[in-house]
Amino acid sequence: MMPERADEISDEQLMLRLGGSQAEATISVLYDRYSRTVFGVGLKILGDRSLAEELVQEVFLKIWRSSQTFDPSRGSFSTWLYRVTRNCALDLYRKRAHRVRPVPDGDPHIAAARDSSPGPQEVVDGSLLSWRVSRALEELDAAQREVIELAYFGDLSQREISERTGVPLGTVKTRTASAFRRLRQELAVGDAPREASR
Amino acid sequence: MKCADVSANLGAFVLGGMEPEEAAEIRRHLASCPGCRNELEELEKVNRALQAAPPPADPPGHLKEQILSRVRAEEPSFSAETLSPSGGYRSRYLRFVIVGVAAAAVVAMVALGIVFSLREEPPVATIRLIPTYEEAAGLEGYWGVAELHPQPSGNQRVELKLNNFEEPEPNSYYELWFVSGGDRISAGSFTSEGKGETRVWLNAAPEARNSRTLLITEERADDDPSPSETVALKGKLP
Repeated sequence: MMPERADEISDEQLMLRLGGSQAEATISVLYDRYSRTVFGVGLKILGDRSLAEELVQEVFLKIWRSSQTFDPSRGSFSTWLYRVTRNCALDLYRKRAHRVRPVPDGDPHIAAARDSSPGPQEVVDGSLLSWRVSRALEELDAAQREVIELAYFGDLSQREISERTGVPLGTVKTRTASAFRRLRQELAVGDAPREASR
Repeated sequence: MKCADVSANLGAFVLGGMEPEEAAEIRRHLASCPGCRNELEELEKVNRALQAAPPPADPPGHLKEQILSRVRAEEPSFSAETLSPSGGYRSRYLRFVIVGVAAAAVVAMVALGIVFSLREEPPVATIRLIPTYEEAAGLEGYWGVAELHPQPSGNQRVELKLNNFEEPEPNSYYELWFVSGGDRISAGSFTSEGKGETRVWLNAAPEARNSRTLLITEERADDDPSPSETVALKGKLP
């Protein structure tokens, strides 16, 4: 019998292992699968690298500590993790918004004085789509993801991508086409956590 | 140009990364081919969705080991002191204010004591719960008192008395938890008006009897049953 490889196990099955003796290895695999998405969405929501790093820590420790609250019959692990990420990001956003302000009589009083930046709900609006797109991108193979990232985030033409990577132009086009097909498939039928009104 | 050729190039076309001559050729084909136009519409949706993509960035390499070491340190038992991964509870928990009787406003902080009893009356043991050890330094008194009254049924009845406990954020409430190993057992939720004494009765299931740690967290009114990491007060039975 072939030994079971952790990277071949579904997220949901991995979550069942967290209560056992393989917690560290399990978190490690889940980290490899999701840390880029959590970090990227964190950057998008919080706009701050150190806060996004704090978010990654909080989210993965919460996976470990709150694994018993994950119920696969209620949705996929990705759906659950998106909500955990969003809630942790909201918490970090609120904490950042707190300021120390003096009370009228001069006594120091730490209060929830907020700045005029957008409210937390506005901040996370759109994070669901970011999450889904990030997960779809993670489903691409490395070569497909490279051409999409160079084209979209590097603003390179197909020819420039070919020159940059040393891959023939025809291959770049083929990879772009297959990446788009895969993205279309993932975004259409992929995991689509419903945006709850909360 | 045939449909197959166009299809193979439509991804590059919507990204705008083609040579002008090639793009013009594709446009000519699209003008007379409804099937390829449909495919183009689909790919344009993907292209619009990509605008929401987070930047392709990896978290710093040390972060994973940092998290795994925390898991190692906490396994197998859960430690209430490490609930804040950033290494510190936020100063907002200092927003408990006690106004003294003196003419000048004297602000005092109160730490939470827990009185534990095997009998219905009175409770028998006391724990202090504080936001953080650092923030508690220099503070005097108690944040409040929680009296535990084990019931014949096995339930844990808790009378919680908090002084000037700040009201929760909008759409949020507080929840009292018994911590046992890696699990949290809820004793129920409550809110506070921010001033004066908050006194509530809460109940936890018999499984809470073995818990040595209590937490009060701030939870949002949503459908996520996961306990919040936003801990307002914590403490352990002696």
